[in-house]
Amino acid sequence: MTKRQRREGAFAIYTGITMLGLMLLAGLLVPALGKYHANEIGSDQLMPPSAKHFFGTDILGRDIFARVFAAVFVDLGTSIVGVLIPLFVGTVIGTLLGISKNRRINSFVGSLIDGINAFPFLIFVIALVAFLGSGLSSIIIAISLVNWARYARIARTRAVIVNQQGYVEAARTLGFRPSRILFRHIIPNVSSETRAYALSDFIIVIIAVAALSFLGLGVNPPQAEWGAMIKDGANVITLAWWTSIFPGLALCWAGISVAMISEGLSRVIREGSQ
Amino acid sequence: MTSPKSISGRESEEISAEQRIPDKNRLALRRKILGRLVRSLVVGLWVMFIAFSLLRITPGDPIRLALGTDATEEAIQVMRDRFGLNKPFLIQFFEYFTGFFTGDLGFSIFSQRQVSEIIATHLPVTVMIIVLSVGGAILLAVPIALSVALSRRPQVTYFFRTATSISLALPGFFLALLGLLFFGTILYWVPAAGYQGEFPGNLKYLWLPALVNCFVLVPILSRVLHSSLMDTLDEEFVETGVIRGVSKIKFYWSYMLRPSLAPTVVLISYMVGIMIGGTVVMETIFSLPGIGRELIEAVSTRDYAVVQGSVMIFGFIVVFTSFVGDLLGYLLDRRVTLS
Repeated sequence: MTKRQRREGAFAIYTGITMLGLMLLAGLLVPALGKYHANEIGSDQLMPPSAKHFFGTDILGRDIFARVFAAVFVDLGTSIVGVLIPLFVGTVIGTLLGISKNRRINSFVGSLIDGINAFPFLIFVIALVAFLGSGLSSIIIAISLVNWARYARIARTRAVIVNQQGYVEAARTLGFRPSRILFRHIIPNVSSETRAYALSDFIIVIIAVAALSFLGLGVNPPQAEWGAMIKDGANVITLAWWTSIFPGLALCWAGISVAMISEGLSRVIREGSQ
Repeated sequence: MTSPKSISGRESEEISAEQRIPDKNRLALRRKILGRLVRSLVVGLWVMFIAFSLLRITPGDPIRLALGTDATEEAIQVMRDRFGLNKPFLIQFFEYFTGFFTGDLGFSIFSQRQVSEIIATHLPVTVMIIVLSVGGAILLAVPIALSVALSRRPQVTYFFRTATSISLALPGFFLALLGLLFFGTILYWVPAAGYQGEFPGNLKYLWLPALVNCFVLVPILSRVLHSSLMDTLDEEFVETGVIRGVSKIKFYWSYMLRPSLAPTVVLISYMVGIMIGGTVVMETIFSLPGIGRELIEAVSTRDYAVVQGSVMIFGFIVVFTSFVGDLLGYLLDRRVTLS
């Protein structure tokens, strides 16, 4: 049973990595080698998929195949930065809160974290983008401002437990500097938890980035981005289904590949801890 | 008192403790609920403060941005006075705070209406979608989780886990678009526009957005319910139920579901926040007159008071539902901690 679980977990991880790798490879190769440029306006408007245009063309005659793969690094890159910044900030703040002995700061920042987490993620990001203006950098800032609190909550709970572990006590007894104990002993053990969350958060952020552009709050045209392409296609979807469907499928592909990796890892880890 | 893993014999322990010192027990319960309430109120205050600060931390002058470049200096000053932006920060917050209790959340520059009025007219649609989504998701998730938990074959569990994790990775707005394309323009099951607000008639417009929300909700709910059902199945009282030969309905409800429900109930209250995010997108796609569409419109017209007010209301809804959810979860299963 357990062996089987591990095999299934490994299979899911490899499937996910292969899917993600193929997408990244296409994201590199298609813009470099393809016939069409992502923003190149052509004379063939709303052409259905054919040998000339694999995914058809949009209302401005741009090649959708080129645009879908030109967007790979825009979407995934924004999402990765949008996960890494809150992961780092949240883990550090949460850990410091977890090991701090100042009750006043602890309950003050703790309730601030709860307050930020109370807002629905997408709503708060939309509101922040409203005040910061649209564009990729303000999406990243908005996501970071909202999401660090989720990581901080996880890190704080974990740090309280890690702080009482024998190896931390031992390091203290040995007279190590507090900064060494923090960075060598506590943070690595806290971040194993937040990093695990980061993977499932990655899926949420990928979808959120696309959703923001879909709502018209994300990238500025003519930048190729899946959510923006789905939105542009939605206006003509009854005439030309390919304009929305292919970027949507790319988004699903990215989400599913990360979901497979995360699902597989959780299975392998759970099996290992039993 | 609330150690999570004192499973065996907990019910008999609890009953005897209650019989011995009933007053003390009730007092402890009341204090716990009160503590959770106070925490909700503190978080609610933060929610208001954060929503309030949004306008004040904007880079640049929000009034100047809202009125455009050709607005006169005089008009800008009048607006600033009307928004109270010329007063000190804390005074402004105090006025916003007291205004909230008299139903005054400021007014919309764009439509010249009170924000509270906008929220009152548009919130019911959003709440309706969320209630429909949660109701539908419960109806779907319970049988799925029960049948997977009771199935003996490991392939079923494997398929279930893979399917749920994949469906969690699908973007709701894209599914909504596909749904609209399929049911709206091919089958004509969904009216394209012209929402009508009266109760059973509006279901015609709301069933598809709720169904799309279920695509996110059902996998999570059924997964959590499934894993608590698996824990419950390991308990001795389930075996006792089988040996005693209790009726099917009694077995499913009293022996399986009731002891497993607490984590799912808490999760539902937590998921309301995620539902709200999804519903905002749904309202835009299906052109439903909910508060989410108002929010998106307000964002694009830089109607800051509306953004502020609706974001705050959403925050309050989440604080409230998580309070109710935690409370229900605790009443269902006293092992749940109220934190």
